[in-house]
Order: sequence, then C-alpha cells, then structure tokens
Amino acid sequence: MDVRAQLVMVFNLDKCLGCHTCSISCKNIWTDRKGAEYMWWNNVETKPGAGYPRFWEDQEKYRGGWVVKGNNVKLKAFGKLSILLNIFYQPHMPKLEDYYHPWTYEYSKLYEGGEEDDQPVAEPVSLITGEKIEIESGPNWDDDLGGSPLYAENDVNLEERRILNTFSRLFMFYLPRICNHCLNPACVAACPQRAIYKRGEDGVVLVDQNTCRGWRFCVTACPYKKVYYNWNTGKSEKCIFCYPRTETGQANACAHSCVGKIRHVGVVLYDADGIDDVIRAREKDLVDAQRRIILDPNNENIVRLARENGVPESWIQAAKTSPAYDLIKRFEVAFPLHPEFRTVPMTFYIPPLSPILATQKIAYEVEDCQEIPTKDMLRVPAKYLSRLFSAGNEEVIHEALDRMIVLRHYMRAKNLGESFDESLLRKSGLTEDRAERLYRLFTLASYDDRFAIPPAHREYDAKDVEQRKGAKGFGVLTGPRGGL
Amino acid sequence: MFDLLIFVAIPYISIALALFVTPYRYLSGRLTWSAYSTQFLERKSLFWGSVPWHYGVVILLIGHAIGFLFPSAVQSLLSSMTRLFVMESIALGLGLLTLLGTFVLLFRRVFTGVRAVSNIADYIVLLLVLNQAITGVYMGIFARWGMEWYLHTAVPWLYSLLTFQPNVALVSGLPLAFKIHVLGAFLILAFLPFTKFVHFLFFPVGYLTEPPILYRWVKRRKA
Ligand code: HEM
Ligand code: SF4
Ligand code: SF4
Repeated sequence: MDVRAQLVMVFNLDKCLGCHTCSISCKNIWTDRKGAEYMWWNNVETKPGAGYPRFWEDQEKYRGGWVVKGNNVKLKAFGKLSILLNIFYQPHMPKLEDYYHPWTYEYSKLYEGGEEDDQPVAEPVSLITGEKIEIESGPNWDDDLGGSPLYAENDVNLEERRILNTFSRLFMFYLPRICNHCLNPACVAACPQRAIYKRGEDGVVLVDQNTCRGWRFCVTACPYKKVYYNWNTGKSEKCIFCYPRTETGQANACAHSCVGKIRHVGVVLYDADGIDDVIRAREKDLVDAQRRIILDPNNENIVRLARENGVPESWIQAAKTSPAYDLIKRFEVAFPLHPEFRTVPMTFYIPPLSPILATQKIAYEVEDCQEIPTKDMLRVPAKYLSRLFSAGNEEVIHEALDRMIVLRHYMRAKNLGESFDESLLRKSGLTEDRAERLYRLFTLASYDDRFAIPPAHREYDAKDVEQRKGAKGFGVLTGPRGGL
Repeated sequence: MFDLLIFVAIPYISIALALFVTPYRYLSGRLTWSAYSTQFLERKSLFWGSVPWHYGVVILLIGHAIGFLFPSAVQSLLSSMTRLFVMESIALGLGLLTLLGTFVLLFRRVFTGVRAVSNIADYIVLLLVLNQAITGVYMGIFARWGMEWYLHTAVPWLYSLLTFQPNVALVSGLPLAFKIHVLGAFLILAFLPFTKFVHFLFFPVGYLTEPPILYRWVKRRKA
C-alpha cells in the first residue's frame, strides 16, 4: 500500500444557485489576461445542457479520456507513436468556436463619441481581433435551459428528449466544474514534453510553463476539457487549485467566494497502488472501486503508513477532520463526475434532491409522507444522475438519495420533538451522531467546517529555499540579472 | 564580394548567433519557447499548410544532414542512375509538399483571422521558409542531380567552414538559386534564437519509454 494525500473539493449540488460568482472570482484572479479571455478554469453549466466547451462530454467528438483495450488502458485519442505523427496538426482538438469567441463592448464610445444625431451605442468587439463581431455564443450560453431544442435536448446524458417539453417532468440543476486533479490524469499522460505533472504532496495537477512547448495534446486528452491553450503565450494552462492560497491554508478563490456555500475542501488519504485497479474496473463498479482506494484516516495502520510515506502530521490531522472524506467515504453521498472517463477524478458531487414531479397524484402522495418526497417523486431522473456521476450505476445514486431523505425525516422529527424509528437511520448507514454531522455539513457548515486545509510544508524544500533567497520574483529560478 | 558575404561572413555570424544566443534564450526566456500554434483560431487551412510543410521539411532536412555527415556512403548509394533518379524524384516530391505548405501557411496568415494575432516575426519566419521552398524546388527542376553535386560542392565547402579555412571557390560557380538557398538557410539559423524557429530544437521522444503519470515531489520520498 502506498498511502498519499490529496486536497479534494466536494460540491453539494443541492445548494448551487447558479450565480457564477465562483467563475468570476476565478477569472479575476487567474485568467483576466491576453490569450486567456475565453478560459474559465471554473465554469458553471446548466444540466441538462451542452456545457462549455459545447458538448464536451461527447467523447466520440472530442476523444478525451481513457478506454480499456483488452488488458490495457489507453488514451482514447492517440497512442504513443501517433502523438508524434499528429504533432503538426491535431485532428481532435477543440477550436475557439467550440468554447466561444470572447468579446467586450466599446464602452469608450459612450463617452468619447462626441455629439451625434443618434444615441451612442457600445457595440461588441472581439477580444482577439479587436474587430466588431456578432455574438453567437458564450461560456454559459444555454444557462437555465435557454435554447433547449439546440442545447439541452442534445445533452449526451439525456435519454428522453421529450422530458424537456413535458412541463410536469422538466428538470434542471447547476453543475460547477473545475479541473478534477485526477489520479490518472489523461492530460499528464498525453504530454510528450512531460510538462504536466501531479504534485506528490497535495495532488494538484500543474502545467510547467517553462517546459510546455505548446504541443496541445493535453487539451485533446482531458475528457473534461479543463486544459486550455493560450494563443498569446503559445502554451497550455489550467486550474491550479489556487495552490498559492491552499499552501497557506486558505480556501480556493471559487470555494471561498461561493454564495451557496456548496463547496467543501479537505484532505483525503488514498492508496496509490490501487489506482490501477480502479481504471480497469467494470463501469458499474467504478464508483465502488474508487471509494475503495480512499482510506480511513482514523485507522492506525493507515496513519502509520502515511507517516512512513512522509505525509506531514498536520496533514494527517486534517484528514481526520476532513469534510471531503466524510462526504465521499463515510457517508457515501458524493460521487466523481463521469468516472467512465477513467481519469479517476478527485472532485466529487453530491447529487441534487430536486423538487417533486408536478403531477397531481404526487402532490397528494407527498402529503402522506410529511411533505418530504420519496426518491421516486423527484424530478431529476436517477438514470440521468447515474450517467453523470456513476457511469450508469443507478443503485449507488439511489442509496445516496435515500440516505439524504432519511436524514430529512430524522431532523424533522427531532426538531418537532417527535419520535423517530432509529432502525431507519441504521438501515441507511447512519447513527444519531453521524446524522448530526451530515446535517451540519449540509446546512450549517461554517467556514471551518467546510474547509480543513492544512498549509503546505515547503520548509522540507530546504536546499531550494537557499537558492530562492535573492532570486527575482515568484518561483523563477534565475539570478537577479536574468540567467547568465 | 557577394560570395564572401554569403559564403563566409553570414554563415559565421549565423552560426555564432545560433550557438550562443539559443542557450541564453533557453536559460532566460523559456516562457517564450513555443511553436505558437494557431490551430486553435483557424484549422481548416492549417491542415493543408502545416502537415505538408512539416512532413516535407523534416525529411528533407534529415536528407541534407545525412549527405553532410556521410558523403561517401551517399555517394556510393547514388552511383546507380536508377537509384539517383528515384531519390531525386522523392526529394522533389517532398519539395513540392513544402512549397504547397508554405503557400498555404502564408495565405492563412494574411487572409484569415490569424492575421489579427500575427506580428512581424511570424511573417519573417514564413517568408524565410517560403524562400527555401521556392529555391529548393527550382534547383530540383532546373539544376538537376543536386543530390550528386551537393556532395562535391556544398558539403566540402561546409567542412571548410568548420575547419576555419573557408574555401569559397568550391561554391562560387554555382547558380544564383543555390546562393539564395544558402543565404536563406543561414538567415534561418540566424533568426532561430530570436523567433519561434526554436520550436523544433526539442523534438520530444523521452516520453515514449516513461510511465504515463509524472509526479513531482518537493521532497523526494525515501521509497
Ligand atoms: C521536428 C519537429 C517539428 C515539430 C514537432 C514542429 C511542430 C510545429 C508545430 C506544432 C507548429 C504549429 C502549427 C500550428 O499552428 O498549429 C509548427 C509551426 C511551424 N513550423 Fe514546425 N515543427 C518541427 C520542425 C520544423 C522545421 C524543421 C521547420 C523549419 C525550418 C519548421 C517550421 C515551422 C514554421 C515556419 C511554422 C509556422 C507556421 C505558421 O505559424 O504559420 N518546423 N511547427
Ligand atoms: S480534469 Fe483530470 S485530465 Fe483534465 S486537466 Fe484536470 S487532471 Fe488533467
Ligand atoms: S458560487 Fe457557489 S452557488 Fe454560485 S454558481 Fe458557483 S458553486 Fe454555485
């Protein structure tokens, strides 16, 4: 067993209001630059919907992620040799229009225009060419099911297109996305220059800008389309998990600013030797296989192995109070996004408990169960959720939804001073204590409950520190006069 | 005078620039080390530019290098007329590919959206390679059996440069197209450290034998 630690984000989709505050705070800090205008390291899309870039989940089009071929797990887009043959032109790489053409408005025209017969207007101009453009799409063009015949109805996860035209069954929810900082990152494997790497200490996946030569295989290989090509610098970039913040124990910008307080960040211990089994698992077993390699931080044996592997004491303590571990493994309510891409993504989603179906029958039925619906009354089809979060395994989704519904019943009874049949709790794997913890995480979660981020221990890097002293700026290891 | 310039002065200056400025750029300005791909912005015509150009030029360059490194071996290889004919035809075909490629690349620079993100260096680079393609193909057609005479003229002259005893007489009688081709080649070398030409200096192959996932640790672990 090879015990390692990773910082993991968990999203509680029930609470996401689709406000895009996360995207804006990320953009303001990291991608408000030339060449990065179109990039949204954090984006929020409506499901069902096309997403960003459009229909990114359709791997027949984009060829991202891994596929199992016999005994091997291979990149879907290219083998090692075909990388060399396709290096001059990449057949499957998305183009700018698949994201959107970034624009701004000629605001200066409003006050510099001088006197004219007509009202001044601020026309849209391209942020790339500077010319006037017709706006044809944006990063959340199909927000709230806008234009659904074109977008939502073609969502690859949607089985029944009709559902979007049937008012009583219509549904939607929001899906915020960042890079998943995967355990088996396709972006890393696809880079022939070896510029992308996973940090051993906290699992963050980064593109080394000094090594990247702009070959762009990572852009194609990432099934989540979370590596972006910067046309201005000629290099690829991606979400950095706000490591300058997390290294000092602060929450990531997106998580910190989240209005719905839907995001949790904490340490998770995992068994790196088990990754191989996860990526080979049958589709139905993918979620279970991934849960299996996530380790219990309260198990003495695992803590010992973690220590031997150099996981710092503060990280082990943080793992014990980690909201991420509790939601993913202890309560099994959080799921990886599209595990069938086999990158073993390390961000997790708690599926939404949607409103009830708007049929008369159900409106009566829900009264019989104290206004708390059963999982069969929910609008979002479990099948749809399973296609997003469990590679089609509906059972695990049902279990999680059940658990959350039982929790509601329990808390209702508790608040009203009514009696509650504890065997119901136990049947869904909860006890009173555990229910209390889950309830806190779902509802009250203060800043410290949501984020248990131990600072990084850069002091281990003793030799490097000597080198950096007196060097110019952040992380640029050249002398003050620049190189030679 | 002209001959001295293009066969002695410019080659030495270019080689010096390439040899000394390139490592400097590697050490100080690696953030600009890229092919500055524009596929993201325009891909339809790029395919017809980049693919023919690169498949042509990479093989042709290797050919030039082999002739330079193993002249006698190549000499005996070309001793039969059929073999010479076949090899020359292949080379000419590749040359035509590069010609097509450079035309398309230049066209899309000027007439598509790529123009908005282009700077002077982008045009210089393309004009330089267009010059190589045109003069190269011209010689392939009008100065036949270049593979043969390359070995007796250009190669010994290059060796004379390397031994610091430049012998211009070896090449001064050759056609103007050749002189322009040589001038262009050394200009490319001179521009190499200052432009995106640096992109072809590191052809990635190391990854072929490495495990797929790369980790970096601040502190190397014991095990
Ligand atoms: C040996 C390996 C080489 C590799 C892997 C390589 C790769 C590339 C790539 C990825 C591009 C960007 C294409 C795009 O816009 O997407 C490019 C452009 C270019 N390459 Fe290469 N190249 C190689 C060799 C060469 C050589 C030997 C030359 C010429 C001496 C050359 C000249 C060019 C030029 C002029 C462009 C610019 C095209 C443009 O932007 O209009 N390349 N190369
Ligand atoms: S989501 Fe996974 S494959 Fe995609 S960029 Fe992030 S680590 Fe790489
Ligand atoms: S800030 Fe939070 S609530 Fe708002 S869209 Fe982002 S994840 Fe959802």
